[in-house]
Amino acid sequence: MAEPAIDVRGVWKGFHDARRDQTVIAIENFSFSAAPGEFICVLGPSGCGKSTLLRILADLDTQDLGEVRVNGHASVVFQEHGVFPWLSVEDNVGYPLKVRGVGRAERRRRVAPLLDLIGLTDFKGAYPHQLSGGMRQRTSVARALADDGEVLLMDEPFGALDEQTRLVLQQELLRIWQDSGKTVVFITHSVDEALTLADRVLVMSARPGRLLADVAVPFGRPRDILELRRDPRYGEVTYELWRLLRADAATSASPEEVAP
Amino acid sequence: MTTTDGPKSSAREDLERRLRGRRPGSALKFIGPFSPLLLLVVWEAASRGGLLDARFFPPPTSIAGTFWELLTTGTLLEHSLITLTRVGIGIVLGGVPGLVLGIAFGAVQWLRVLAGPIFASLLPIPKIAILPLLLLIFGVEETSKYVIVAIGVFFYIFYNTMGGVLQTPPIYFDVARTSGASRWRTWSTVALPAALPSIFTGLKLAVGGAFVVIAASEFLGSRTGVGYMIWSAWQTLAVSKMFVGIVTISLLGYLAGLLVALVERRLVPWSRQ
Ligand SMILES: Nc1ncnc2c1ncn2[C@@H]1O[C@H](COP(=O)(O)OP(=O)(O)OP(=O)(O)O)[C@@H](O)[C@H]1O
Ligand SMILES: [Mg+2]
Repeated sequence: MAEPAIDVRGVWKGFHDARRDQTVIAIENFSFSAAPGEFICVLGPSGCGKSTLLRILADLDTQDLGEVRVNGHASVVFQEHGVFPWLSVEDNVGYPLKVRGVGRAERRRRVAPLLDLIGLTDFKGAYPHQLSGGMRQRTSVARALADDGEVLLMDEPFGALDEQTRLVLQQELLRIWQDSGKTVVFITHSVDEALTLADRVLVMSARPGRLLADVAVPFGRPRDILELRRDPRYGEVTYELWRLLRADAATSASPEEVAP
Repeated sequence: MTTTDGPKSSAREDLERRLRGRRPGSALKFIGPFSPLLLLVVWEAASRGGLLDARFFPPPTSIAGTFWELLTTGTLLEHSLITLTRVGIGIVLGGVPGLVLGIAFGAVQWLRVLAGPIFASLLPIPKIAILPLLLLIFGVEETSKYVIVAIGVFFYIFYNTMGGVLQTPPIYFDVARTSGASRWRTWSTVALPAALPSIFTGLKLAVGGAFVVIAASEFLGSRTGVGYMIWSAWQTLAVSKMFVGIVTISLLGYLAGLLVALVERRLVPWSRQ
């Protein structure tokens, strides 16, 4: 087998708050690897360490224990978007090209189809404060696509979108991914979204985030993400994932949280 | 069914017209700027009617006469230009290092920790208190004026720039880093634009401060400039002339502030005003 695009072995990450003298373990003994071109979804409850894992993969944070290898440049879609308020939509999307010295005309040429993709061509001259939350999120997705790394790290990129727009963008993302051969790590807390997109779903436990299960998604490629939902196996895998999540919620919830 | 096409599209046109022409309280906005005139009218009446001591508060019309006289002889323009030049050069001289160091100190933690206290300890010195020292070093010529304005301006710009960089949400730096921006690129494409609104706040304060400092320095260390005009009027008890000086320097400060606001609107179009 080819060398994995991402290899994570026994990673731990904790945070210490000196003021409250409290330590939070965000990630506990986490291991997985992704083959080049694989589409991986990470599924888990809020606060379980998904963003922390992504920041480590993006080399923005360092793990406390364990090893992390990512082959090639990673482009990131941040959960908080991080769209620059001082740049227009078009310049935000073209930003990664600009810092690499790509000229203005060439930038425009390469950004145009991405603006089309996210449906913001009419807003290319607008500033972020003139956009809705979902439009800002789409801008940050387009920016990561312009960045065009071999690895694409996405932190709940479609979280702020309505179901329709999300469906369209999911389908587009699959198309782009299939044409480009990128390795994708896609964070979500939607079971549906994970099943729709992924080759494999990594299910994380509530904090501290451990790997609960590594579930292979049985659907082939290319996928029609609407037809997918009529597949009898869709219900089965959905049930399987929910079962894992519920079992985890029952064991990890503190007494106050289960009390009526 | 209550929807029809006709009324709907005319309602839309109506709304579009309103959005295009929307100005907050436009009638009030036109009257507002003229309200100070009322003050002048009251002053005029009080001064002529003996309610105000005309020796200290000559009627505005007589001040206007003096104003006209000083304007036509060119004296006023000459002093104004000198003061403006001093302020302008001082702002550039202090503002540029303030900007560069402000960004550097905001972005580089060890620099801030090591050298920050130096500036913090110099900050409380009243700038005008070192004028005699500057006169000693640079002489009574122009240089001492440039330097004292520059020192005052530097601190405003330096601290506001540094504050602007420090308040930048870290995610923006993360974006720059994952996009592969070099350190230099990160400064120019993230730290600087993120700090711009704060830099302009500093610049507005700096302009105000610069006029205070220059007026005071021209009182004592100069034989030119609007500050000198005011001071010499006091010595000769030419009260009208003194008022002309006060109005002129206020006007210059006001116009300079307006200019900064104009530049800000061009350079910071993303701020919501
Ligand atoms: N910089 C930090 N300092 C201290 N604690 C942190 C920091 N970043 C994350 N944590 C803690 O680590 C845990 C995991 O956070 P993380 O942001 O990775 O969760 P998440 O799975 O992305 O949640 P969500 O789905 O809500 O985005 C949380 O308990 C959080 O309090
Ligand atoms: Mg998160």
